[in-house]
Amino acid sequence: MINPLRSEAEAFRFLIYVVVVAALIGVLVVVGRAIL
Amino acid sequence: MEAASVAAGQPAHDTHGEHEEHHHGPPEANRSSRVEPQLLGMLLFIISEIMVFGAFFTAYFFIRVVGGADWPAAGTELPKLIALVNTCILVSSSLTMHWALESAKSANRFGLQAGILTTFLLGSTFLFVQINEYVHIGFAPQDHAQGTIFYGLTGLHGAHVFIGLTLLAFTTIRAFRGHFTPAEHRGVEVPGIYWHFVDVMWVIVYLSVYIL
Repeated sequence: MINPLRSEAEAFRFLIYVVVVAALIGVLVVVGRAIL
Repeated sequence: MEAASVAAGQPAHDTHGEHEEHHHGPPEANRSSRVEPQLLGMLLFIISEIMVFGAFFTAYFFIRVVGGADWPAAGTELPKLIALVNTCILVSSSLTMHWALESAKSANRFGLQAGILTTFLLGSTFLFVQINEYVHIGFAPQDHAQGTIFYGLTGLHGAHVFIGLTLLAFTTIRAFRGHFTPAEHRGVEVPGIYWHFVDVMWVIVYLSVYIL
């Protein structure tokens, strides 16, 4: 795995990626709790 | 022979003897990595930080998954909406941090100064809201295991924000003194990497503690 913190630009892209994935997980959890 | 070739108008060859003649001071330090030493230091630091956060997350998942404890503790509530707003504030500060570095690379001094100052102010706002949350949340670290984990994880992150703000304070002062150029901006880049790392950790903390 390539280190995502080699430069500020790569760290910023990694942050955006983490935010998107976390938002998806959060939405799935909230929707799942509403359904179940 | 070299003296003879120079005397004859021919260029002198870069021989070993000439290199030694122009070299002053101790020999250069050996570098076994292709990464710059300053960046490598920051990376090793961040790796150690991941292990510290990992220990706290282990405690968190242990009481929830292995211990089967309620989260949050019965009779308590976590302010999800305020924490979400605080998350947006922190992610916004990463945007301005990125803007500041891009401005430094393109010799945009106003962009650098505005970006780095805004990052500092947004980070300070995040820390202020976090402390205000502690004041009004209604439980203490010693009340129950959930409280200990909550204050431990968010407090550890808050301490990192404070360190990041200290770095940003120096960067802001240097930016206003005109220390950074398109060629030399490591003083913005390295705190920037640290700041994004702190934001990544907060997104994971927020998702784990407030949402899951």
